[in-house]
Amino acid sequence: MKTYIFVWLSLVILTGLAVSAAGMDWGGWSLGVALGIAFLKSGLILNYFMHLKDERGLRLFRWMIPGILAILILFIGLTFLDVAFR
Amino acid sequence: MKNHKDNTVSTLGMWLFLLSEILLFGGLFIICSVYRYNHSRIFHLAAESLNRPLGALNTLILLTSSLTMALSIFFLKNRRSERSLFFLFLTIFLGLFFLSNKYFEWASKVHHGVYPNAPVLLERERGEVLFYGLYYSMTGLHGLHVLVGIGLLSVMFVSVLRGKIDHERILPLKNTGLYWHLVDIIWIFLFPLFYLIT
Repeated sequence: MKTYIFVWLSLVILTGLAVSAAGMDWGGWSLGVALGIAFLKSGLILNYFMHLKDERGLRLFRWMIPGILAILILFIGLTFLDVAFR
Repeated sequence: MKNHKDNTVSTLGMWLFLLSEILLFGGLFIICSVYRYNHSRIFHLAAESLNRPLGALNTLILLTSSLTMALSIFFLKNRRSERSLFFLFLTIFLGLFFLSNKYFEWASKVHHGVYPNAPVLLERERGEVLFYGLYYSMTGLHGLHVLVGIGLLSVMFVSVLRGKIDHERILPLKNTGLYWHLVDIIWIFLFPLFYLIT
């Protein structure tokens, strides 16, 4: 239960960081900062609230999520290759 | 032993569904980033007109509702069904709070004549039409997911109340929790995409 509250506190702090970072002018970095914080937050939720790190029932779990993320990143990469060099 | 295996398969099925949801929203995220790339200046101006404090408040509401969801499962596992029900109720309440904020946010935009296919909006530049089209469809689809989540949570509430779900048969509550956390994760990406990156 302590872990849950600690994770929640970290999520709130990260949200505060993201909002205050958006108030400053980071130039090209602002996208990276905002997305980095979003990935960090979803990692915390996936591992602690959704107990992904405790799922040992099937090996598939270890491959499914990176697999889907890889497909998504591939799609994003291919789309931007098309858009940028059209 | 058989029960344990069934649980694993059921959790796996839930995860497969959640991953298909990630791909559904992922496609929309790709559309959004391509249009942002093509119309970056106008997207910048339109994003600044959104209500950032309200967006931040809604983020905090959903994060807190994820905590209460996790606590509800935690207490039911430890046979404290009253506490579990209390946190489940709190989760439903926070979900409704999120939706009511969303309603006021949309209502103020509609009041200014900014809604899909609105005459005021169509006179503006193409990038702005695209921005609001994406804003309404993506936050709308997410809001629909929150609404479904509230429905599922209410069914869970009644089931726990009637003792159909308890510490031994906790799986439906766990899977509902997984869904609720995913809805939270989607918002974690929607929030910077529309409100923060300008």
